[in-house]
Amino acid sequence: MKGERDWRGLLFVAPFMLLYSLILVFPLLRGLWLSLNRVDLFGGGHFVGAANYVRLANDPVFATSLANTFEAALMIVPVLTILALLLALALNSAGRGAALIRGIFFSSAVLSVTIVTLIWRFVLAPDAGLLGEIWKSFGWEPLAFLSDPGLVLPAIAITTIWWSLGLPMLLFLAGLQQIPQDMYEAAALDNASRWRTFWRITVPSLRRTIVLVVMLQTAAQLQIFGQSQLMTGGGPSGASRTAVLFLFETAFGRWELGYASAAAEALFLIILAVTLSQYWLTGRQSAQGAR
Amino acid sequence: MERGRLSPLGWAALILGALIMVAPLAWTLLLSLKDNAELVGNSGAALHGPYTAENYAAIFGNSSTLRWLLNSAIVALGTTLGVLIVASLAGYGFARLEFPFRRTLFVIVLLGLAVPSQAIILPQHQLFAWLHLHNSYPGLILPGLAGPFGVFFMTTYMRGIPRELDEAAMLDGASRWTIFWKVILPLTIPAQSTLAVFTFLGSWNDYWWPLISATHSDMYTLTVGLAAAQMNYAQTSGLGFLMAQAVFASIPIFIVYIVFQKQIVSAMAGTAVR
Amino acid sequence: MASLELSNVRKAYGDTLVLDDVSLTMEAKEFVAFLGPSGSGKSTLLRIIAGLETADAGEVRLAGERIDRKPPGERGVAMVFQHYALYPHMTVRENMAFGLRNARVPKHEIDARVAEAARVLEIESQLDKKPGQMSGGQRQRVAIGRAIVKHPKLFLLDEPLSNLDAALRMRTRVELAQIRQRVEAAFIMVTHDQAEAMTLADRIVVMNDRRIQQVGAPMEIYARPANTFVARFVGSPAMALAPATLAEGGGPFARVRLGSGAEVATRVRRDLLPANGALQIGLRPEMVSVAAPGAGTCDAEVVLLERLGERTLVYTRLPDGQEATAEDKGDSRLKVGDKVGLAIDGAAAHLFGPDGAGHHAEAAE
Repeated sequence: MKGERDWRGLLFVAPFMLLYSLILVFPLLRGLWLSLNRVDLFGGGHFVGAANYVRLANDPVFATSLANTFEAALMIVPVLTILALLLALALNSAGRGAALIRGIFFSSAVLSVTIVTLIWRFVLAPDAGLLGEIWKSFGWEPLAFLSDPGLVLPAIAITTIWWSLGLPMLLFLAGLQQIPQDMYEAAALDNASRWRTFWRITVPSLRRTIVLVVMLQTAAQLQIFGQSQLMTGGGPSGASRTAVLFLFETAFGRWELGYASAAAEALFLIILAVTLSQYWLTGRQSAQGAR
Repeated sequence: MERGRLSPLGWAALILGALIMVAPLAWTLLLSLKDNAELVGNSGAALHGPYTAENYAAIFGNSSTLRWLLNSAIVALGTTLGVLIVASLAGYGFARLEFPFRRTLFVIVLLGLAVPSQAIILPQHQLFAWLHLHNSYPGLILPGLAGPFGVFFMTTYMRGIPRELDEAAMLDGASRWTIFWKVILPLTIPAQSTLAVFTFLGSWNDYWWPLISATHSDMYTLTVGLAAAQMNYAQTSGLGFLMAQAVFASIPIFIVYIVFQKQIVSAMAGTAVR
Repeated sequence: MASLELSNVRKAYGDTLVLDDVSLTMEAKEFVAFLGPSGSGKSTLLRIIAGLETADAGEVRLAGERIDRKPPGERGVAMVFQHYALYPHMTVRENMAFGLRNARVPKHEIDARVAEAARVLEIESQLDKKPGQMSGGQRQRVAIGRAIVKHPKLFLLDEPLSNLDAALRMRTRVELAQIRQRVEAAFIMVTHDQAEAMTLADRIVVMNDRRIQQVGAPMEIYARPANTFVARFVGSPAMALAPATLAEGGGPFARVRLGSGAEVATRVRRDLLPANGALQIGLRPEMVSVAAPGAGTCDAEVVLLERLGERTLVYTRLPDGQEATAEDKGDSRLKVGDKVGLAIDGAAAHLFGPDGAGHHAEAAE
């Protein structure tokens, strides 16, 4: 009797596990296999071992795309985290004004990447854009954000920050809500200044949330695709090509599936390595700094 | 926690920031309300009248935008419904039932949370091509059902329901299915609504998979359609019309945002902070 | 005819033994209490009877039929959980009807039974409310109602009075006793509160350390505890145990010497006691009264006084450090620190052998 009950449990998880195995696990394994082959559009492939990876390591286009990706992430994550934190601190009250402004800052996060890139393309474009118009009204020459190699990544960064403020701000707000009120009361009784209270109480209490935000955002920004593809096409001359765009172009532009798979696996490993090292670093710090 | 003692300077900075946040949206709206010809080479014309609604009229006349909307709606609703069903069933299995390999299988599901979509997109593409599922609704919906997050979320929530209720139901002669259907599931309604909104948003805004799988223009979702439209707007429809499409595409999601604000906030904050 | 029969029930979680060879027979319509501290195995035993756990070895029979292989819903058993386990999203009526619906009882029968139970428990006005809108006491009645409508052969009650405040506890005790009269079923109650067990049960099964220590009617357990554990667990305040050695004299009955040198004449048959080994004497407060210093069996110093109204409990310490509890009248004039004499009435004293087994006074003719 017990045996029957045992196996019936599998029926409940079966629909999901079947879909999951088919659509996630199997492709994951196959992707690994693909990366070890030379495969083209017609499916014919032959095993080449690590050749794809070797080629990847020597590929200047891939290297540039990685560099661009990291540069963009470095521009985005710190600014995003700090801004979101400041906003959360400023907006952490129950008033209707605060609620309204919170709503405004969060609204951009519900838009899709195509809408966001569309909007910002016409904010940043020198001849047709909002910023261009503002510049011109001051009599200045508008900046060619999307066609100047030096300005392209900052442009993407600004777009992404505008788009991504909502979620980190929300996480910080949730984290702030969880700080017990009596800590602040104790600090007030101890005559602590606002600055001191901020650094000695608020920030340490938010530690876990800050780490979480940084980890999530880093992983997300290392995967930037839409902004790069839609705003600049990766240009000018690959100055804004990100790693995922490289992957996309290789796979669906040139149909080099094996090579693209290798790039995908490499990117996966890089993201994993970055996330784990962030986790490990912050874990050690908190162990050392434990009170 | 009440620490809103912002100085007037602080409030001014906030309001300025809010205006900066809204500015691009306002700009888009203004552009959408202008005649296309006026805007050629002179988008500054958007800052002053005359304004017209002709671009919006054109959207309703132009069937492709509406088609994209329909596709997005079908895919998003289908994915949401599918995820709720599949994740609830699996969640109950993992949370409440003892079966062989339960722990192992759950770990495998958890590990899936760490896999980024790019790592599997190419083999998925191959797989769906082999199954002749590209450019179809099932093809657009199925990948969403295989996401581990829904199962993880429902399992965690169901674990929080006291086991005593299951035991009382067992003594009431209820079968495993009856316990699931009549006792556990009704108690998960808050989680269901959070998961539903979360899934709907993710599916509606998905660009990556539809880009690769829906290559025929009649299967475009809003995200892909809009992306295609912006590639060559100057030749085809004009800047005003393009912006009207962007506004049009934003309206459904803003409506969902306003109506389901609570769920969205709890979905994003609660699940990440865990 | 026996109602419930447990035979050699054994249960372990991994390496930890939880129930060790437990056997028991109950009569029909009997009210039995499983009494013991936490960890004694009483709750596990209850759950095994209910079908929520499976025994590793042994059998469970109800009305002659073997039930330990059946799913919980088919055993003819109903349970009232400690925290009630009512379905929060269903109304009271639906809560009570749920089990009957699953058993495909016809609708009119369900309605009749629900109405009857609601009348008996006085919750008719609550039938369309949800548990969240009710007080704890009301919720418990719904839980009892849910059990009653199933017309079970056996009711299982898991710590029914623990969650209630004192006033409610008294009321519920009375209600349980009344329900018991109206219903054709046996009852098993699990509790750690010996007062509950003493007042409600026909028989008490005292459990400790995964085994049954003693089974018997409340007064029997109180008057003739089988071992030191039962002696100290039942009765409040607890029986005092003091080391004692056999002394000369007393005829057929044992005479013992306390640590302080004082001697007590008991009515425990000397020949029933083990030949050698350390003894302990068990004294309930009602056997020890207070006298002037030197006028009693031995002297002691008052350490604590508990004034209960109708009597005062006097906690004392003997010169050798041994503690003893005595009883005095309600308006006792004693104070902490006073020296008193303890007059020990040995006629009811118990003696416990080195193995803890109890030996009791013979009743006087």
